[in-house]
Amino acid sequence: MTTLIKLEILRTLRNRRYLFFTVLYPALMYFFFVSAYGNGMPGGVSAKSYFMVSMATFGAVGAVLTGSAQRISLERKSGWVRQLRLTALPGRAYAVAKICSCAATTLPAIVVVFALGAAEGVRLEAGQWLGLVAAIWLGSFVFAALGVALGYAAEPSAVQPIVMIVYMLMSAFGGTWFPVSGTLKSIARFNPVYLYNQLAAFIRPGVGFDTTAAAGTLGFLVVFVAAAGVLYRRDTRQA
Amino acid sequence: MAEEVAAFRQVSKSYGRVRAVNGLDLALYPGQTVALLGPNGAGKSSSLDLLLGLREPDQGQVTLFGAAPRAAIEAGRVGAMLQSGGLMTDVKVRELVQLACDVHPRGHRVAEVLRDAGIEEIAERRVDKLSGGQEQRVRFALAVAGQNDLIVLDEPTTGMDVSVRQQFWSAMRRQAEQGRTVLFATHYLEEADSIADRVLVLHRGRLIADGSSAEIKAKAGARRVSFELHDADGLIEEAALRALPGLVALEVSGQGTGVRTVRIRSTDADAVVAALYRTGCYPRGLEVTSLGLEQAFLTITGEQDEQDSQTASPSGTESVR
Repeated sequence: MTTLIKLEILRTLRNRRYLFFTVLYPALMYFFFVSAYGNGMPGGVSAKSYFMVSMATFGAVGAVLTGSAQRISLERKSGWVRQLRLTALPGRAYAVAKICSCAATTLPAIVVVFALGAAEGVRLEAGQWLGLVAAIWLGSFVFAALGVALGYAAEPSAVQPIVMIVYMLMSAFGGTWFPVSGTLKSIARFNPVYLYNQLAAFIRPGVGFDTTAAAGTLGFLVVFVAAAGVLYRRDTRQA
Repeated sequence: MAEEVAAFRQVSKSYGRVRAVNGLDLALYPGQTVALLGPNGAGKSSSLDLLLGLREPDQGQVTLFGAAPRAAIEAGRVGAMLQSGGLMTDVKVRELVQLACDVHPRGHRVAEVLRDAGIEEIAERRVDKLSGGQEQRVRFALAVAGQNDLIVLDEPTTGMDVSVRQQFWSAMRRQAEQGRTVLFATHYLEEADSIADRVLVLHRGRLIADGSSAEIKAKAGARRVSFELHDADGLIEEAALRALPGLVALEVSGQGTGVRTVRIRSTDADAVVAALYRTGCYPRGLEVTSLGLEQAFLTITGEQDEQDSQTASPSGTESVR
């Protein structure tokens, strides 16, 4: 199984589209937002640190959703999934390798945006940096599970628009491009991207770790993993 | 007989209203090279899917080495090359073969597998940049990446040109010479004729013939005897022709013109010719020709279609797609 995981990571890193959309794109967006909002944001939040977090999550969610959903859907269609089922690998190995490769490839997306943030003048303690990387990295597993579920749910032609719509809606109402407040905020509590962004709340002065958000994220993880399991078994019976 | 490599016991499988596999019952034994022959939609791929445990039969039971197919695959006893076997993209051929060798419980070394499959020269190429024939050889490499006891190939030479096809079959023969059981589906009859020592003919999900290619040809009436009968040489009743030995088919044309053309298919052409003279015939322009497996195949499937149309039942007459 380790060979499969290694190969999955390698091929993702080799893919130029991956590098553009998941590493370069969020980094460019970060510069764009920082220059657009300057230093002042409603609620006295620093734009530089706010968008550093939201662009890291944006990149991470994009990386895992496209990395898992589209590839799984395509490889189901091409017959690679069937071919793998004729090896001694256990059935779950494929999905596990996909999630591992997602997890490995989100790290560059996160670290690049954080490095840019630091260069722009975001100052945190060493412990906070580490905690932040850990929170955003672990949180991305939720979306890797969602990606696996979507990959087993839809055909390649349908999965791309589905992923884009899900990704954009969750981002728009999850605080990726602007902080949500009022009614939007009460709805956003049921949005996994919002909860994911909230995992980083502890870097603001005087704010502790948001345990409610952590519990919510965990809840979504359970739901997505269960959905992925059901859809995987359905696919196994059909293919 | 020795231990069964694979067995179908009264296996049926339907997709919606289409019966892809219909009461299949057969066993494969060690060391055999078996061709699974049939037109498109005969149920070849469906049967292989069932054999490999990719699908579950509706009725009956499929076993590999006496157990469930999945167990045999996990034990690394089966290597398979599917028709719809997509390959991983964005990786090199060598890396993909490495993966297959690593996951096999008794995997070979990568270099050996690349050499055996004849793909050393494309080992550093990206999988997504290969031609159809090259892809097929990479799939073959994946199927022989370890020490298997059974190799299953679904239309392996599709997309290969003639010289590559020959290379492929010599690689395949080396596998068989090492004592492996080989089962391959094909619609190229010459492949079945020259390579297999047992031929299974599948038609509309049913097994309609099972034997050596010589036996299959014999079953279809492997030789054709044709001649003319001139009434001037003495009148011969058609009933006398029907009584000829080993007769499979009789066709008489040109009735009432004084010269009748007779075409006979028989399992024993020599006896037919000997009997002709004994009955007092004077056959003119006598020709004895042998039928290829292709003719035999058409004959057998044609006979089956006739039987089906006579005993028309809704499930039996449906074709797949």
